[in-house]
Amino acid sequence: MDFNFSDDQDMLRDSVRKWVDKRYGFERRKTLVKAGGFSRDAWREIAGLGLTGLYVPEAHGGMGFGPVDAMVVMEELGRGLVLEPFTQGALIAGGVLAGDAPEAVQSAWLPKIASGDAVIVLAQQERAARYRLNHVVTAAKQSGTDWTITGEKSIVPAGDKADAFIVPARVFGAVDDAQGIALFLVERNANGVNTRGYSTQDGGQAAEVTFNNASATLIADAGKGFAAIERAVDIGIAATCAEAVGVMDKLVAVTIEYMNTRKQFGVAIATFQALRHRIADVKMQLELGRSMSYFASLKLNEPEDQRRRALAQAKFQLGTSMRYVGQQCIQLHGGIGVTDEYIAGHYFKRLTVLEMSYGDSMHHLGEVSARMQDTAGVFA
Amino acid sequence: MDLNFTPEELAFRTNIRAWVAENLPKDISHKVQNALRLSKGDLQRWAKILGKKGWHAWAWPKQFGGPGWNVIERHLFEEECALADAPRVVPFGPVMVAPVIMAFGSPEQQKRHLPGIMSGEVWWSQGYSEPGSGSDLASVKTRAERKGDYYIVNGQKTWTTLGQYGDWIFCLVRTSTEGKPQTGISFLLIDMTSPGVTVRPIITMDGEHEVNEVWFDNVEVPVDNLVGEENKGWTYAKYLLAHERTNIADVNRAKRELERLKRIAKAEGVYEDQRLRDEIAKLEVDVISLEMMVLRVLSAESSGEQSLDVAGLLKIRGSEVQQRYSELMMLAAGPYSIPFIHDAMEAGWQGDCVGAAHVAPLASTYFNMRKTTIYGGSNEVQRNIVSQVVLGS
Repeated sequence: MDFNFSDDQDMLRDSVRKWVDKRYGFERRKTLVKAGGFSRDAWREIAGLGLTGLYVPEAHGGMGFGPVDAMVVMEELGRGLVLEPFTQGALIAGGVLAGDAPEAVQSAWLPKIASGDAVIVLAQQERAARYRLNHVVTAAKQSGTDWTITGEKSIVPAGDKADAFIVPARVFGAVDDAQGIALFLVERNANGVNTRGYSTQDGGQAAEVTFNNASATLIADAGKGFAAIERAVDIGIAATCAEAVGVMDKLVAVTIEYMNTRKQFGVAIATFQALRHRIADVKMQLELGRSMSYFASLKLNEPEDQRRRALAQAKFQLGTSMRYVGQQCIQLHGGIGVTDEYIAGHYFKRLTVLEMSYGDSMHHLGEVSARMQDTAGVFA
Repeated sequence: MDLNFTPEELAFRTNIRAWVAENLPKDISHKVQNALRLSKGDLQRWAKILGKKGWHAWAWPKQFGGPGWNVIERHLFEEECALADAPRVVPFGPVMVAPVIMAFGSPEQQKRHLPGIMSGEVWWSQGYSEPGSGSDLASVKTRAERKGDYYIVNGQKTWTTLGQYGDWIFCLVRTSTEGKPQTGISFLLIDMTSPGVTVRPIITMDGEHEVNEVWFDNVEVPVDNLVGEENKGWTYAKYLLAHERTNIADVNRAKRELERLKRIAKAEGVYEDQRLRDEIAKLEVDVISLEMMVLRVLSAESSGEQSLDVAGLLKIRGSEVQQRYSELMMLAAGPYSIPFIHDAMEAGWQGDCVGAAHVAPLASTYFNMRKTTIYGGSNEVQRNIVSQVVLGS
C-alpha cells in the first residue's frame, strides 16, 4: 500500500506541466477554441512528448505505460484545460487496439497513434442509448471477409477531424443484446462516412457521424465486442476522473488566490467565515475526488466485475465532487466568475462536460446500487 | 503507487485475525455486532486480554513496552479488531495520555503510569472540556494553585466519557491568568479517588449514562503529577490532538456498520427499495472514499512525510459517515424504530420485542451519534482549521 509517485512519474508530470505552462496558456487556448477546438499542431506537440503512445506497447513504438502514468498525464492536461481529446485518441484508442485488435490492425495503427500521425476516437454514442453501452442500432454486415457498417453515431470527439473511428456495431440480436455487438475500425475518409462537426460546451469539438455501407475492419468479434467497449469506457472513466482532479485542483487554487486578494467591506473576502467554511467543504470534495481518482486508476486492471464496480463508485464520487467544486468556486468568485473573459467559468464548463462523459452521476449511482455486495470497503 | 498491502503486511494481518478470533470473547463480540450495551466489565475484560498480549496500547514503541508497529501495522490491527466486532479500545489511557507521558513526562511518571495503561488495569478519563468551554478548549477555568508540594485543584470538568469508571484523569488546569489564555494552562494527572473529586452522571438523549461531570473541590494533587513544565500544558494538549488523526475517522468501524446496515435493510425487506438502496449506495461510496483518504494519510506518514493536508478532513468526514449509517439503519427499520424499550439493549434480555430484536438499539444509536460532529472539536471548528491550511490566511 503506497500512494507515492515514482521518480519517473514525477518527471512525466513535470514534462507535461511544462508543456502546458509554456504552450497551452489561456490565450492560445482561446485561439484554438475559435479555430474549432481541435488542433493538429497541438496534437503533434503532445505526441512529441511521447504521450500519445502511453498505452501503446513498446514493440509498436509506444511507451507501454500503465493507468497511474495515464492518471498523472490526465491531471496535468486537466490543469491546462487541454481541448484535444487525449483520453480518446491516446488512451482509449491505444488501450483498445493493444488489448483487443488482431495483430495486423495493431501493426497498422498503433505506431501511428504513438507518433501522433493518426487520431482515432471512439464513435460509440447513439441517439437513444444515453449511457447504456449495450444499446447499439448501428449494424455491421459481412460479405466474405469484408465488413460494412451502416448507422449513426453521436457526439464523437473531434469527429470531423479524426482519422479513424472505433465503432461498436450490431452483428446480430435485438437492439440491447450485448452478445451481438462487435467492434470495428472505420476510416473517416472511407466511402459512406459523413460527418457534421460542431462545438461542445467546453470549447472542444465533436461531430455526428453517419456510416452508410462504410468499409470496416474487425477489431473484436461478436461475443467479445461488448467487453471491449466496457473496458474502453472504463479507461475513459479513469482518465476523466484524473482530468477532473486536475481541473478542480487548478480551479480551487485560482479561487483561493481570489479570496485572498478580493476585498469587500474593506477586508479580503477570505476573512469571512461563511466563505472559509465553503472553501473547506470544497477542499473536502476535491480530496475525496482525488482519492477516488487514485482508486479508479489502481482498479483499472482488476478483473471485470471488480473493475466495473470500482469505476462506477469512482465516477459517482468525481461527478459529485465536480459539481460541488465547480458551482461553489463560481459562487465564491461572485460576478467575475460568470464572465467569459475570466478563466473560472471555463473550468466550470469543462467540469460540467466531464461529469456527463462516460456516465453521469445518476447513471453511476444506479451502477453502484445494482452492483452492491454484502461486504464494504476498498478491499471488498 | 500500489493499492495492495505487501505479503509481509498481509501475513501480519492474518496473524492478527487468527489471534483476535481466538481471544475475543464471543459474548462481547455478540454485543458489539448487535449494538447491545457494553458494561465496564466487558470493556475491561477485553482491555486486559489485549494488555496481556501487549496490544492494549498497540501504537506504542517498543521502548515503552509496546509492539513497535509501524502505521500500516497499527491500521491493520485496528481494522481486524473492528471487523471482528471487538469493542473500541477506550482511548483515554493508551491513545491519548500515554503519548504525552512518553514525550513530556518524567521517567518516574512513565514508570508509574505506563504499565497500568498497557495492562488495562488502570482506567483513565479525559478532563479537557468544561461547562461553557465547548470547542474553545483554551478557556479552561479549573484552577490549580501551588501550595508547597501540592496543587489545590478547584473547578469542574464535563462531558467526561465513561468517567464513572475512571481511576485517573488527565486534566488541563489553569495555573496562571497572565498573558494569552493558552499560556497559563498546565497538564495535570489526578487520582480520581482523591478526596474532593465527585463524578455526576449526565444522561444523554438516548437514555444512556456515557458522559459525566467531574467536580474538583480543594483536591490536593502532588506536584509530582504535573506533566512537563507548568504553564506549558497547551503545547502538550496540541501534541495529543495531533497524535490522533486517522483513528478518529473510525473508517474500520464504518465498514463494519455499513455491512450491518445492509443486513438490517435485508431483514426489514427494504434492501430492494430503490430509494433506500440508492442512499446505501451513496454511503458505500462515502465509506470507500473515506478509506482511500485514510490510506493516503497512512502512506504519507509511513514514508516519513510530516503531514498531508487532508488529515484535517478525516474527522469531519468520518463523523458525518458515522451519523449517516446510524440514520439509515433507523430509517431501514421504519416505524419499528419508534418503540423505546430500554432493557432490550441488554444482552440476554428475555422480554418481548416490538418488531425484530435488531431494531431495538437503532434509534438510540442514531441519537447517540449526534455527538460525533460536536466532540473532538466541532466540525465547524474543524472547518476553521481546514480553511486556515487551505487559504494560508
